[in-house]
Amino acid sequence: MSAVSIRNASKVFNLGKSNQVDALRNVSLDVKPGEFVSLIGPSGCGKSTLLRLIANLLEPTNGDVVVNDKPAAQARLDQDYGMAFQQAGLFEWRTVRKNIELPLELKGWDKNARALRANEMLQLVQLPEFGDHYPWQLSGGMQQRIAIARALAAHPPLLLMDEPFGALDEMTREYMQGELLRICAATGTTVVFVTHSIPEAVYLSNRVVVMSPRPGRITKVVDVSLGGERNEDTRNRTAFFEAITAVREGLRGMHAAHVGLGNDDR
Amino acid sequence: MNRVGNLLRTTLGNALPAIVFGALFLGFWEWAVRFFELKPYFLTAPSAIWEQFTSNFTLIRGAATVSGTNALIGLLAGTVLGVAMSFVLSRFGFLNQLITPLAVALNAVPIFVLVAVLNNMYSITSEIPRRIMVALVVYFIVLVNVARGLTQVSPTHVELMRSYAASDVAILRKVRIPNAIPFLFVSLKIAAPAAVITAFVSEYFGGSQNGLGSRISSNIANSKNAAAWAYVLAACLLGLLFYLFSVVMESLNRKGEVK
Repeated sequence: MSAVSIRNASKVFNLGKSNQVDALRNVSLDVKPGEFVSLIGPSGCGKSTLLRLIANLLEPTNGDVVVNDKPAAQARLDQDYGMAFQQAGLFEWRTVRKNIELPLELKGWDKNARALRANEMLQLVQLPEFGDHYPWQLSGGMQQRIAIARALAAHPPLLLMDEPFGALDEMTREYMQGELLRICAATGTTVVFVTHSIPEAVYLSNRVVVMSPRPGRITKVVDVSLGGERNEDTRNRTAFFEAITAVREGLRGMHAAHVGLGNDDR
Repeated sequence: MNRVGNLLRTTLGNALPAIVFGALFLGFWEWAVRFFELKPYFLTAPSAIWEQFTSNFTLIRGAATVSGTNALIGLLAGTVLGVAMSFVLSRFGFLNQLITPLAVALNAVPIFVLVAVLNNMYSITSEIPRRIMVALVVYFIVLVNVARGLTQVSPTHVELMRSYAASDVAILRKVRIPNAIPFLFVSLKIAAPAAVITAFVSEYFGGSQNGLGSRISSNIANSKNAAAWAYVLAACLLGLLFYLFSVVMESLNRKGEVK
C-alpha cells in the first residue's frame, strides 16, 4: 500500500509540434503513507509537472499515476488530496473562515459542520482569532498558514505543495517549516513538497528526490536519517549537513554533466 | 453620536478647499462680467444664470426629468444587456472573435448618425431612440469591463478549484462572478455620466423638444444665454447625481468586503 505510486510516467507538452517539450520521461516514484517527500531540482526539471500529475491537474502522456490506491482522476474527484501553491491564493472577497470552508462547501457539507471544522483548522494553524478577518489584513506567512488550513480542511490523507514558502522571507520560512512539520505530525498527513531550497528539503523530508531537466527525470533519491522529531537543533546536526551535501552532489553531478564536465564528449 | 460628528467634520474638512475654490471662481466670474461690462451674449453673470434657474425651475425640472428618465432607463437596460452578453462571451470564446469586430465597428459610428437612423425607425415624438442610444453606449462599457472580470481570474484560483473537482458552474459562481463584481462597479462609474451625456446629445438630432439638451440648443438659438446656462447648470447637476449614485453603490459593495 502506498499513498502515491507513479509507474514510468512521461509527460510531453505540444506533442508533435515544433515546440515539443519532454517535461518528464519515465519517472517512477512511490510515497508511503505518512511520509514526507520533497522534489528538488533546477527550473524546468519537471518537479511542478510531476506534482500536477499526482494532482491530476495534468494527464500523463504515458504511464500510470495511482493516488490512495485509485487512479489519480478518481482521487481528485474524491478530494483525496489538498493543495497549496506559492501564492496563498486566498479569495480576497471571502473572510479567512469562508476561505477555509470552501472545499467543504464544494463537498456539500452543511453550515454547522463547516463552521466546526473551520474552527478546528484555525486552532491547528494557531490563528483562532483571525477567522473573521479578510486575507489582505494578514501577513504573508499568516496567509500561507490559512492556505494550509484550507488544503487540510477536508482531512485529506495527502497534501501536495508547490513551493509554498517560496515567497516568504528566511525567518518566516524557517518558522513555517516547523509549523508544517507540527501540523503534519498532528494529522498524520502524507506530503509531496516541491522546493528550490536544499536546506528546506532536507529539514522537512524523509526522502529528497533530486530531479534534472531536458528531459525531466529523477537522478537521485537521498534518504534523510534525521528521525521523526525535528526542531531548531536539527539544523546543527551532522546528519543534516551530510544530507545537504548528498543532495547538493546530486544536483551538482547533473550540472557537471550539463556543462560537459565528467564525460568524454569534448 | 460623537463618531457621526467626527465623520461630518472630516468630510467638511476635505470638501472645504473645493468649496472655497468654487466660491472664489464664481466671485471672479461675477466681478469680471460687471467690471469689463461684458455683454450677455458673450458671457452671462452667475447671478443672472441663478435668477433664470430659480424663476424657470419648474420648466427646468420637467426637462431634467425627461433627460434623466432616458438616461436611467438606458443605463439599466445597457447594464443588464452588457452583463448578460459578458457571460455569453466569457463562456464561448469563439463568439468573442465574431462579436468584437462588430462591436468596435458599431462603436466607431458617430452617435448622431445612429440617432438619426433610430429616429426614422420610430415615431418622431418617441423617446425610445434616445434610450436605445444610451443603452448602446452603456452596453459596450459594461460588456468590456465585466467580461474582463469574468475571464481574468487568478490561475492559482482556477487550479485550486480544479483540485477540488469543482464544476464549471461552481467555478463561475465562486470565482468568476465575485472576481467580476468590482469590474462591474468600475464600469458603472464610467457608464453613469456617459449615459447622461448621451441622453443630452441624442436630443440634438430631432424628436421632441422636451429634454435638457434640446432646451439648451433652442435657448442658444434664441440668444437667451442666461436661460441656456441655467439648463446647463441642471445638466451638470443631473450628471453629478448619476455619478454620485454609482460611487455610493461602489462604496456599499466595498463596505461589505472590508466589514
